[in-house]
Amino acid sequence: MIKNSAKYFFICLFALFTFVSSANSAEIPFLAEKVAADDLPAMKERLPEKPLIVDFEATNKTLGKYGGDLRLLMGKAKDLGQITVYTYARLVGYAPDYTIQPDIAEVFVVGDGRDFTFKLRKGHRWSDGHPLTSEDFRYFWEDMVKHKKLGKKGIPSQMLVDGKEPTFQVIDEQTFRYTWEKPNPSFLPALAAPSPLYIYRPAHYMKQFHADYADVEELERQAIEAKARDWAAMHTRMQRQRRPENPELPTLQAWQNTTPPPNTRFVFERNPFFHRVDPLGQQLPYIDRLTMAVVSKDVIAAKTGTGEADLQARYLQFSDVPYLKRGEKRNNFTTRLWSLGKGSQVALFPNLNANDEVWRKVLQDVRFRRALSLGINRKEINEVIYFGLAYPSANTVMPQSALYKNEYSQMWTDYDKEKANSLLDEMGLDQRDPDGTRLLPDGRRAEITIETAGESAEETDVLELITDHYREIGLKIFVRSSQRDIFRRRAYAGDTLISVFSGLNNAVATSAMNPEELAPTDQAQLQWPKWGQYSGTNTKAGEPIKMDSAMVQLQLFNQWMLADNDEDRTEIWHNMLSGYAGQVFSIGTVNNSRQPVVIANDLRNVPENGIYAWEPTSYFGIYKPDTFWFDR
Amino acid sequence: MSDSHYVNDQPFDPKSIEVLTPEQEAIYLAPQKKLIWWKFKRHKLAVASGIFLAIMYLMTVFAEFLAPYSVESRNSDYTLAQPHDVNFFHNGEFIGPFVYGYDKELDLEKIQRIYTPNKDRVVKLNFFCSGDPYKFWGLIDADNHLMCADMEEPVYLLGSDTLGRDMLSRIIYGARISLTIGLVGIAISFSLGIIIGGLAGYYGGWVDVIAQRLIEVVQSLPTLPLWLTLVAIMPSNWSQVAVYFAITIILGLIDWTGLARAVRSKLLSLREEDYVLAARLMGASPKRIIGLHLVPGFMSHLIASATITIPTMILGETALSFLGLGLRAPTVSWGILLNDAQNIGVVALTPWLIYPVVPVILIILAFNFFGDGLRDASDPYG
Repeated sequence: MIKNSAKYFFICLFALFTFVSSANSAEIPFLAEKVAADDLPAMKERLPEKPLIVDFEATNKTLGKYGGDLRLLMGKAKDLGQITVYTYARLVGYAPDYTIQPDIAEVFVVGDGRDFTFKLRKGHRWSDGHPLTSEDFRYFWEDMVKHKKLGKKGIPSQMLVDGKEPTFQVIDEQTFRYTWEKPNPSFLPALAAPSPLYIYRPAHYMKQFHADYADVEELERQAIEAKARDWAAMHTRMQRQRRPENPELPTLQAWQNTTPPPNTRFVFERNPFFHRVDPLGQQLPYIDRLTMAVVSKDVIAAKTGTGEADLQARYLQFSDVPYLKRGEKRNNFTTRLWSLGKGSQVALFPNLNANDEVWRKVLQDVRFRRALSLGINRKEINEVIYFGLAYPSANTVMPQSALYKNEYSQMWTDYDKEKANSLLDEMGLDQRDPDGTRLLPDGRRAEITIETAGESAEETDVLELITDHYREIGLKIFVRSSQRDIFRRRAYAGDTLISVFSGLNNAVATSAMNPEELAPTDQAQLQWPKWGQYSGTNTKAGEPIKMDSAMVQLQLFNQWMLADNDEDRTEIWHNMLSGYAGQVFSIGTVNNSRQPVVIANDLRNVPENGIYAWEPTSYFGIYKPDTFWFDR
Repeated sequence: MSDSHYVNDQPFDPKSIEVLTPEQEAIYLAPQKKLIWWKFKRHKLAVASGIFLAIMYLMTVFAEFLAPYSVESRNSDYTLAQPHDVNFFHNGEFIGPFVYGYDKELDLEKIQRIYTPNKDRVVKLNFFCSGDPYKFWGLIDADNHLMCADMEEPVYLLGSDTLGRDMLSRIIYGARISLTIGLVGIAISFSLGIIIGGLAGYYGGWVDVIAQRLIEVVQSLPTLPLWLTLVAIMPSNWSQVAVYFAITIILGLIDWTGLARAVRSKLLSLREEDYVLAARLMGASPKRIIGLHLVPGFMSHLIASATITIPTMILGETALSFLGLGLRAPTVSWGILLNDAQNIGVVALTPWLIYPVVPVILIILAFNFFGDGLRDASDPYG
């Protein structure tokens, strides 16, 4: 009976398929039943009037078939947030050339760098079928940010210019505008970020949890039931965009979570109202479901090697590659080696704010930092640890970036012991102990403790090589590893002399992206935590910058913040890159090292070579996983 | 005739009833120590273990000489090389111990270095030769090694690690920390055990009650989580030496309870003995009575139980370092070496990185057999 009915169903389906495909809009098999039962409108009605047509030609993508489950492995339940990084539907987002293009928005217009008008796609709907309108943006701005109870945390920092907020204006159902008094160049990059500024919420859904729209007493009662402190806490919990913990929450992403946490396996199903289509006008995504299994991060490489993931890069390391390669044939996957998009895989950060006065003076001397850079044998590091596949480079942008210049990556990076030694002698560190270790001006031995967060074996290996290299220039290195929190706290407090971390987060930058990493703007910058804190907190905490070259970087950054055209921004970026390279504020080793990306053999449209980075690629995000499909 | 009690006026020779052979006589007249030794000797496994342990501890003393390379010496041309096979015959001819040099190849497809023995390159092994210079015990400059290769080519009898360092040398150096940590730890637990157990057993009463409860509390703590917390609150800026001592102290502080119990129960029975009463009547202080009259009475037992607890300490250090919570590189211990081998690929591709497990297992077994033998021997009449 079952067999028969299944057969009947397929015949029907086939008939339906041929029927609609002749109308050039074949229904997606996964949804066909619902559409047939009138639970869902047909594809045409589900799409906006002007859907986003993904350019398949530009990125060498092929037209796909619907269906399949994409299996991912994650190390913790919090990694739920990674899915919205991967799926990467944004109001505006980075295109493959790293320019910011409309995505959920149909168009956007920027006036004088301070006035941003967005127009939504007419007929665009949330995953529950409710239209997406200006009201959803108004709800975020007026009912959340400006609300006296929900907006307690204040206005998101990217929406403040000189401490001033924008004026928000709804123009019609689809159009709205944010206007600042001065340019706000960090607004668009914030919207396009992997962990973006979400300036919209599904108002129709959220209003039932909002005291202005629902009965407060009833809400408070529900809040107690849901073990929330009050209605505001419950509202916050229900509205999370980045980590889709609430399966009821309508989404604009390609897949919607259907599993409430806590769980060890999360299933995401396709959003029937997703706004992107392939060149034939077929609605994306091709893949029906994503499944995310949460396992211990230590076994992810092992599980991937036995074919338990269709697309996996997170928690895989370069050192796992030989193991992964071994399992390829048996388990039908391929290990591709993408470029890691960091300024330097492992970089040293001399702490210019160190508490030790003698050391601080030494570290602030550019000759010392240059000598540190010249003293590293990057070729050996590359050969031993990265199989010669990476590029020896300073901590700067990668050749893939439009802003790249050879001099930025090569300045002070040749392995030149004599020059390093003569620089150190010249700055007055010419006295040595019998074992060859230099003496500081106050007679102490030049013993430097390099601190690490102790998170990767790769880092430890690189440091062991560097320890040997530095012995040759008369510096004795000790490595101390701790945990990330302690590591950071010590650096912030000035207890650390040199810290080790990965280099620039965004090494494929364009002039439109924020150059904040090149200037003291944030406490988290390990080479100048106190100065960064000072300018990052508007002089409320930290210490004023007392070094001309660092001041120059900050001034350039401030100019960028006020620049209203791309030419100026490009010039400022170049000035900052060249200043950073010349002053060697951080010491890079190699970049462009490889990230293993494991891809099932029948998964199509995943690029052969990509850049694996948090920003701007959002890991897989800009390669549009909604266009990936299974050739089965 | 009234007195019918008969007394034989012939001299009595006890040997006429029970004739002792010279061996038997030796046994009856032998002091306690000798008896223990005799009994111990009969436990062949224990003797073998004892010899093995002695060799291992000697090794830690002469690590610099025994290790073919210094602990930091690396050859970045030979990373993750598999162990060399030692051969004696080349082309059917005996030429003494040698290995075949490796041909290197970089397999960029598999991202792996491939080493194949080249039958034409004979690398002879020399003994008592000059190699990496070192400072013996941190004092004397020397460069003598038990074994080195005669060419520039490195020889890895147990393979090399990710940076091209000799595993054999690192295992030998690692023994220093891994083996001594047990001794330091045991010294602490020993003193704590004897003092607390001794006081509880000798005085009894409320002292005993408090000690007993304390022991129960410490024993009921789950050890692994406790180690983890204690290690976690250790300041991160401590030097490796300080961390090492802190870990031994932590291990020792947890481990004294079993010993304290044993001491207490022994003392409870021994303090009722007549000689203790005699000593007390003569005005000996409790310190003297415990130290001079009671503890020697069960010292052998203490030593036996100590040898059995040392493995716990060694395993403790290995476990903590393996989890990345104990000592850290560049210190070398077996646990740290094993920590490097956590990667799944190791088991499949570079199994020699797990070799430090072998000495750990052997040492633990040896200590157990040795302790067994000692315990049996400590009661020679049993």
